[in-house]
Amino acid sequence: MFKVISHTANLTRSQLSRSLPAFSTSATRLAGDPTSRKEAPIIDNESVLTLPEKAKERKALDTAIVVPVKVDLSPITGVPEEHVKTRRVRIYQPAKNAMQSGTNNIHHWEMEFDTRQRWENPLMGWTSTGDPLSNMKVQFSSPDEAIEHCEKNGWIWYLDIPKTEKQFKPKNYGVNFSWNRRTRVSTK
Amino acid sequence: MSARQAIQVGTKTVKPVLSSSQGEARSRVLSLYKAWYRQIPYLVKDFDIPKSDEQCRAKLKEIFLKNKDVTDIRVIDILVIKGQMELKESVKMWKQKGHIMAYFKPTEEPKPKDFLSKFFSSNE
Repeated sequence: MFKVISHTANLTRSQLSRSLPAFSTSATRLAGDPTSRKEAPIIDNESVLTLPEKAKERKALDTAIVVPVKVDLSPITGVPEEHVKTRRVRIYQPAKNAMQSGTNNIHHWEMEFDTRQRWENPLMGWTSTGDPLSNMKVQFSSPDEAIEHCEKNGWIWYLDIPKTEKQFKPKNYGVNFSWNRRTRVSTK
Repeated sequence: MSARQAIQVGTKTVKPVLSSSQGEARSRVLSLYKAWYRQIPYLVKDFDIPKSDEQCRAKLKEIFLKNKDVTDIRVIDILVIKGQMELKESVKMWKQKGHIMAYFKPTEEPKPKDFLSKFFSSNE
């Protein structure tokens, strides 16, 4: 009997313990009276860290691995596939509020998603959307950061760069009569 | 400006999550797959879902093969950790029937593909 118990105990300690029905793991069955259960012995941190398996784990974590530079986190972010593959991200610099003259709140870059279907909600006439990413705006200090973030998440992105401003050219009537301009036709 | 992808090539050296090599990560994935595979009959029985063992095995294979193109060892490790968490939640009955059935997406209607059906469902 003891042999059988120790054998099953060994089995449950193996990697595939969850797959074995030897001990029921469902919530319906309690292993004895929980009040009379003895607590596990308290082991201090130092002795735990010197255990062979822990030492092996730490040694493995001290090593370095080589991975490709391009990281794609879309399999583990939990974002639904339709919101990874079909969305397009616009990376832009926010414009100044036309009603205010302050410009201290626009020195960054933002990303936003493309617009999806919206409709007028019949209840109150407000605008509704079923798009979970419709109002998500993330701020970055530079476009490179935004691009890296999009690449990491597998989104297609595009940079919306504003047209470069024209160079300021001061108006000057006098330059028309400059000595090196061929505009002074009368006296050459 | 049209959509484009930043070109990132080359490799970099980083700290591992669990595995230190591709082979180790692979063995982790395989042992997780086997654990799920062996648990399927008990899951079908315990959760009383309207699916057979074969259907569940096919779904298991489909879910694992969905990430077959992942090459980053760290991402594989995180996926394995998440899979183990889900297995534990299933085995301990922390999940409920609906959570197991959610893998099969029984209530999800297929999205319209062609122009006319998109137009009729007034989508996009």
